[in-house]
Amino acid sequence: MTEELVRATLKEVLIEEFEVEEDEIVTGANFFEDLDMDSLDAIDLIVMMDKKLNIDLKAEDAQKIRTIDEFVALIMTRA
Amino acid sequence: MRRVVITGVGVLSPLGNDMQELQEGLESSRSGVVHVESWSEYKDFKTRVCGLVNWDDYKVIPRKSRRSMGRVAIMAAKTMQDAVKDAGLSEEQISNPRTGISFGSTMGSDEALFDSIGTIAKEKTFIGQNSMSFLKFMSHTVAANIAAMFKIHGRNIPACSACTSSSMAIGIGYESIKYGMSDMMFVGGSEEAHAYNAGIFEIMAATSTRYNDTPDQTPRPFDTERDGLVTAEGAGTLVLEEYEAAKARGAKIYGEIIGYATSCDGEHITTPSSAGMEQVMRLALDDANITPDKVGYINAHATSTPKGDIAESHATYAVFGDKTPISSTKGYMGHILGGCGVVESIIGLISLKTGLLPANKNLVKVDETCAPLDYLLEHRYGNHDIVMNNNFAFGGINTSLIFKKIEE
Repeated sequence: MTEELVRATLKEVLIEEFEVEEDEIVTGANFFEDLDMDSLDAIDLIVMMDKKLNIDLKAEDAQKIRTIDEFVALIMTRA
Repeated sequence: MRRVVITGVGVLSPLGNDMQELQEGLESSRSGVVHVESWSEYKDFKTRVCGLVNWDDYKVIPRKSRRSMGRVAIMAAKTMQDAVKDAGLSEEQISNPRTGISFGSTMGSDEALFDSIGTIAKEKTFIGQNSMSFLKFMSHTVAANIAAMFKIHGRNIPACSACTSSSMAIGIGYESIKYGMSDMMFVGGSEEAHAYNAGIFEIMAATSTRYNDTPDQTPRPFDTERDGLVTAEGAGTLVLEEYEAAKARGAKIYGEIIGYATSCDGEHITTPSSAGMEQVMRLALDDANITPDKVGYINAHATSTPKGDIAESHATYAVFGDKTPISSTKGYMGHILGGCGVVESIIGLISLKTGLLPANKNLVKVDETCAPLDYLLEHRYGNHDIVMNNNFAFGGINTSLIFKKIEE
């Protein structure tokens, strides 16, 4: 699994499921401070990415992610 | 005793998505019932008719609020938005300990329930479930979501009693203000369309199945050719305020709630009781301190089931005799279940405003086993200033509401 695929999938989920504006999805963006998401959104983001990429993400992983880059890095360790 | 008036209205119904559209739908005798071919995917399921709301502009509800709502709560939230705007309220008037809510529905979101529970039951795992699913299908999803979205700080009393959910919610709001617990209450209810709602009634042999190709001809309350109820979706919100405060702020007043009662048959879980229906109407009249002859129009619950319509007609006759104009407006749109009480109350307010006494749509020949009432066979226009709205639910739960035109 390439990082490009992970970023593209994350972008798609953020736009379609969380109605984030495309131009807000930038390197370093913080889910909670920049994208108006909260802890429940983080859990659902984990569930959706897990289904899309068929990787081993757990609900408790939601506590480890704050930014897009941190989340992409976490996924790459599981891929 | 504090008086309670209605100062804001929001509605989504199979007949129209504001009061004006609803009135025009009634006056033109339009039907909001349609053929639903997609229900053919359910095996041996005969019902193909449903009253549907033509609205899906979900993005008017902010995502953070909408994420925990299914269609049932989204529609209710939209009517709340419209009612708040209609009443011209400030944030301070909405968010304070003296402003509360009461909303209900028969079910939470059927769609969310099916998506979630169906998968869990089949795969025996909770992994992969969305954290919002339960919040969409829990029993008080409408009340909980509206409270969060509109920052309600007063009392929040969910009224989830099937077909009396929203009429009971109106009653709860009325009593909250009348007895000084609140100064303002947002009240109403909702239901979303789903095959499940129709399916559970079909199991009980209570749904209409003979008019699948002519959906505008069913349901047929009080008619000899009626063959059961037609489920529907819809939502509504009323803004209730203490009269003196509403008058002081120059609010537009749609009418006053002068009477409400709820009581229970305490008998059979589903079979309607004429005695229980009669009792609740008499209690509401007592609460309003008026005699039956003062009521100029009755909006009946009559869902078009054989037993229910007969029982209600005899209860009504016992209280009112045969001189009070009566109609069930379910013939236009079907049975909105948890939302019917508020939508039919709004029709009562339309009647007070315009004088319209809406005909019983699809009533051609009155069932001879029904009591001899003044069934409205065509629209009339009256000079009345008081209307009654009755609703009855599984569990023998009955409600009766009485509205009065406010003197200018």
